[in-house]
Amino acid sequence: MAKKEYLMGNEAMGRGAVEAGVKVAAGYPGTPASEVLEYASKYPDVHVEWCINEKVALEITMGASLCYTRAMAVMKHNGTNVALDFLMHLNYTGVRGGLVLISGDDPGGISSQNEEDSRIITHLDAHLPVFDPWCPQEAKDMVKAAFKLSEKTELCFVVRPVMRVCHARSPVKLEEIATSSKEPFFEDDRSRFIMSAVREPKAGGVLRPVLRHKWLNEKQMELLQIMADSPFNHEEEGEGSIGLVTCGIGYAYVKEAEEILGKKFPILKLGTLPLPRDKVVKFAGKFDKLVVYEDSEAVVEGLIKELLYDEGIKVAVVGRSGFLPKEGELLTTVVLKSLATLYPELEKLIPETASLDIKIPIRTRTQCIGCAYRSLLHALKLVARKTHGVVAGDIGCYDAGSFLPLELQSTIYCMGSSIPIATGIAYSGSKQPVFAIIGDSTFFHNGVLGLLNAIHNAVDMVVIVCDNRTTAMTGFQPHPGSDTDIGGKPVIAIDIAKLVTAAGATSARVVNPYDIPEVMKALNKAAKEKGVSVIVASSPCYLLARRTGDICFTPRKVSLDPDRCNGCKICIDYFGCPAIRFADEKATIDQATCVECGMCVYVCKRGAIT
Amino acid sequence: MNLNILIAGVGGQGNLFASSILAEYFTNQGHQVLAVETIGAAQRGGSVVSHLRVSDSEMYSPLIPAGKVDILMGFEILEMLRNFQLLSVDGSYLLNDYKEPTVLCNLEMDTYPSDEMITAALQKSGKKGYIIKATECARQIGGSLLTNVVMVGALCQLSPLFHRQEVRQVLAGKSPPKVRDLNLKAFDAGGSLVSGMS
Repeated sequence: MAKKEYLMGNEAMGRGAVEAGVKVAAGYPGTPASEVLEYASKYPDVHVEWCINEKVALEITMGASLCYTRAMAVMKHNGTNVALDFLMHLNYTGVRGGLVLISGDDPGGISSQNEEDSRIITHLDAHLPVFDPWCPQEAKDMVKAAFKLSEKTELCFVVRPVMRVCHARSPVKLEEIATSSKEPFFEDDRSRFIMSAVREPKAGGVLRPVLRHKWLNEKQMELLQIMADSPFNHEEEGEGSIGLVTCGIGYAYVKEAEEILGKKFPILKLGTLPLPRDKVVKFAGKFDKLVVYEDSEAVVEGLIKELLYDEGIKVAVVGRSGFLPKEGELLTTVVLKSLATLYPELEKLIPETASLDIKIPIRTRTQCIGCAYRSLLHALKLVARKTHGVVAGDIGCYDAGSFLPLELQSTIYCMGSSIPIATGIAYSGSKQPVFAIIGDSTFFHNGVLGLLNAIHNAVDMVVIVCDNRTTAMTGFQPHPGSDTDIGGKPVIAIDIAKLVTAAGATSARVVNPYDIPEVMKALNKAAKEKGVSVIVASSPCYLLARRTGDICFTPRKVSLDPDRCNGCKICIDYFGCPAIRFADEKATIDQATCVECGMCVYVCKRGAIT
Repeated sequence: MNLNILIAGVGGQGNLFASSILAEYFTNQGHQVLAVETIGAAQRGGSVVSHLRVSDSEMYSPLIPAGKVDILMGFEILEMLRNFQLLSVDGSYLLNDYKEPTVLCNLEMDTYPSDEMITAALQKSGKKGYIIKATECARQIGGSLLTNVVMVGALCQLSPLFHRQEVRQVLAGKSPPKVRDLNLKAFDAGGSLVSGMS
């Protein structure tokens, strides 16, 4: 029996790539996919890199593939958007060494700004083959198969796991790690790898983009044949007049529903795009109705409708286009409810749920106790209030400043949007001063381009870079401002202040975010300057520093004098440290959770906290 | 064997470590294990839920379906209440008597339910359960970070599904050397907290 190890879906995919002989693996951290590269980085034969952003990562892996080396790019769905420009080119050229793109989706938007379905851009737009796994074992098998098929078809293969597959943990079979016999070597093929609107002499002067587009379209036939025989699609017999089509994680929820109901339904389990056309047609022909269970958009549902229309088969096809909820995760409960709609006699078999007669408050996110950004956000809040400024925000831990109690940032979109949004606000004619707040990893990822644009155009704004020297939000991955790489090897840390100074920023002030008076002074000065003033708030992430032994602040035991506290709540409304509690018109310090950063001493204007 | 355990708490309570101990124990016992955690954005103080499923036949959904949780472990009161409706008809709970106020409760824009309301609601639910002071116990031993191990220690004492000594061994094996002794002490203390309760 093959050895099994209890692995997380992401680790299983990392293992699959290592077993397939991946040599270059690159990506940008993002939940739900971050652990894939972290797993692969334990193998010294693999070059693993956290890149500046996802587009760069995909381009790097393509470079390796050009030399017949197996390579993998890993990102979350938002990141695949960033890489899309390159993806829409590499689909035309094809690849040499097996190239696999893992694009982790987050149906339900549990850890993301949206719940985008990246099958749409990778398959419907880029026409690339996509595997959609239902469990960690299949995710691993799919990654391995993807490398092989990528080389066979010369196409980049996409594996699209959803969060519940990425984060699921189960025993996964371990197999041998392949050793590559091929010596890496680059050879020219300009008609493929020079992408340009040039006329091809060999093809009677047809423009190259049209020729390469034709190549990609012709590849679809080869893919149809591969998917027709793929082990990732199969049919299961069962009772009922309605066929259940499952895609990816949909299979897990439908099988779970079967277990709960004690029934077997006719199932077509799908895991590939393009679809296995004959299997779908054969299955559909047996029923009056098909229900498609997929996360999260009606992608396969639409493709099946199109296919059946072309084949002249009249079968009702329903799913995420309206029969099932159009938003949110699929979940077993959703499947059970839908089955009870189709077969009313099943209603009584749905498990009873416990009820509790009590109102449960929601939990919103905030900075960790001890985080340097709480005091930074506090200082910025005071300055923004005084100047009636608008603060454009970005993606990262500091985004919690946009929620209650601070409600500081007024906009948050995607990685790096803060500075261009602030630029547009400045151009609008509004007289409000503009601030942009962005984290270090986000700054390098995409923020720096918006900053260069703003500096070049002499836009009046203050940019605050939260520099904690790590990508804290996703689990402390290094970025170009870090001095070690994923494996702990020393690398060159790019100095943000020097970079923006060289670019021509009006000023670049490095401040200690724990020093509220210093931050206030810097912000007030910067707000009066013309052009782009940058403030780099630099201090290690407190959580990480506790592990590494770095020092963020000198611990200062604080106490609150209830006689001096007049219940003004500035420490709650403008600071919001969870270690400060408020009851009976007075604030108190919860000594058990306080980490003695001492910041609240500066926040209290009555001197009640000492 | 079919068992679904849900651990609900807040970030920083060692929810995942507790789940990994139980997972390794059941794997060692020859059962299939399937688990998942929902951590949302991974900062301290946010809700963290671990689903742990144990069976001798194939399992599919890593998330325990609503109404199928056999044991609900609440590391924090609100987080247990939030997941309470997932409990099965015969399900029971083990609750740590510890409140982590929410941001909105601190702002007095929301109200953390009072002890009386919590007790009344739990009683009305008709579910069997235990409420223990695990965080307080952990603090006495060496710090609130040991709450998770105290809870696991209590669970193994209360439920006949566990061979206490074997879980203890798994804990010893998975603990970093620096904290091994403390963890074992917390585990034992958890057992003592509930001895005579079941």
